[in-house]
Amino acid sequence: MRAAASPAGVRVRVWDLPTRLAHWAIVTLFALCWWSAESGHMRWHLLSGYALLGVVWFRIAWGFCGSETSRFRNFVRGPRATAHYVRKLLRGERDGAAAPLGHNPLGALSILAMLTLLVLQTSFGMFAVDIDGYASGPLSRWVSFHTGRVFAHLHAFNFNLLLVLVALHLSAITYYRVVRKERLVPAMIHGRKDSRSMLPAPYFAPWWQAALLAAGIFACVALVVHLR
Amino acid sequence: MRFRPPRRLTRPMHALAISALLAVSAGAHAGTASLQQIVHARQEHFHMLGRTAKSLRDQIVRSHPDWTVVSDDAHRLQQLAAQLPSWFPAGSGQGHGVKTRARALIWRDPRAFARAAHALFSRARDLSRAAATHDRRTMLLEFRALGHACGSCHSRFRAHGSWW
Repeated sequence: MRAAASPAGVRVRVWDLPTRLAHWAIVTLFALCWWSAESGHMRWHLLSGYALLGVVWFRIAWGFCGSETSRFRNFVRGPRATAHYVRKLLRGERDGAAAPLGHNPLGALSILAMLTLLVLQTSFGMFAVDIDGYASGPLSRWVSFHTGRVFAHLHAFNFNLLLVLVALHLSAITYYRVVRKERLVPAMIHGRKDSRSMLPAPYFAPWWQAALLAAGIFACVALVVHLR
Repeated sequence: MRFRPPRRLTRPMHALAISALLAVSAGAHAGTASLQQIVHARQEHFHMLGRTAKSLRDQIVRSHPDWTVVSDDAHRLQQLAAQLPSWFPAGSGQGHGVKTRARALIWRDPRAFARAAHALFSRARDLSRAAATHDRRTMLLEFRALGHACGSCHSRFRAHGSWW
């Protein structure tokens, strides 16, 4: 159902609950995966890794069948639009009344890169074998020790790329807060932000759709993890 | 014109000193080379340990393991665990000019290291005994105990690094 057009400068609902939950679940699980790997709590590492795998795939699927602001087709832009947005950003121009709610073209790039690296990270982890052959990914049975070690090194290398991306993400949030006076973090908590957009209020998918999708993905992850 | 020998040859003491220096440096190089061989051999042994543990794990996570493979791997792990202390000759740890994660603590506190190595051997022996029972659940528990023995030794005697 579409609500009435958002008037200029008012607080409007932008992010639905599944998108916000997925975002903060990724943050929490990423931190848990990092801590458990560094401290050698491999059981926790595996469990948090499975959960992260599920949340990442949920977010990807939600990008195709979720609410309007979460769908890739509504925020992923081509190189020309992205370059145009960067020029506007550098000139310090504000978003106009025709600017869409949700992610800007640079944020879209960040999301695509983040989801790609997280898919790679969890996939590498599924086949990775540690040096003792003890704590290994659930699909490592299908690869040799040597190949499993290669996956473990890729898992480590990709993690460093993720750290770089996280640093960029945090820098961008700080830039928007300090220079453009836009508070992106609270918006991702309560789902609302001040907007001057004159576009109609976005469509929000029903909660049962997210629950059904999450249940399906949970079942798939459980199946893959217990594949013997 | 009278032939004049190169300056360095006119100073026999200098030539002698340079020769001695070269001999010492060659000796040092040979020492580093053999140390590298020791560390390389140790790493190969640990790879063998890892390969065997993975092979065993791959079997016991299946609903119908090949018990011959399980038994052979468990026996091999026990053998490797028994040999483990000999992979750490004195002077083959960190601070000797070769890349290794073996902490100097191994040789500073040899009794603690021997206790840790013995704990690993005990767990490997228990695993080997459990393999004879053909009980997958017992094997999984024993394998987990072996993993803890590996981990507790690494956390103390191996320099910090990510789990990979």
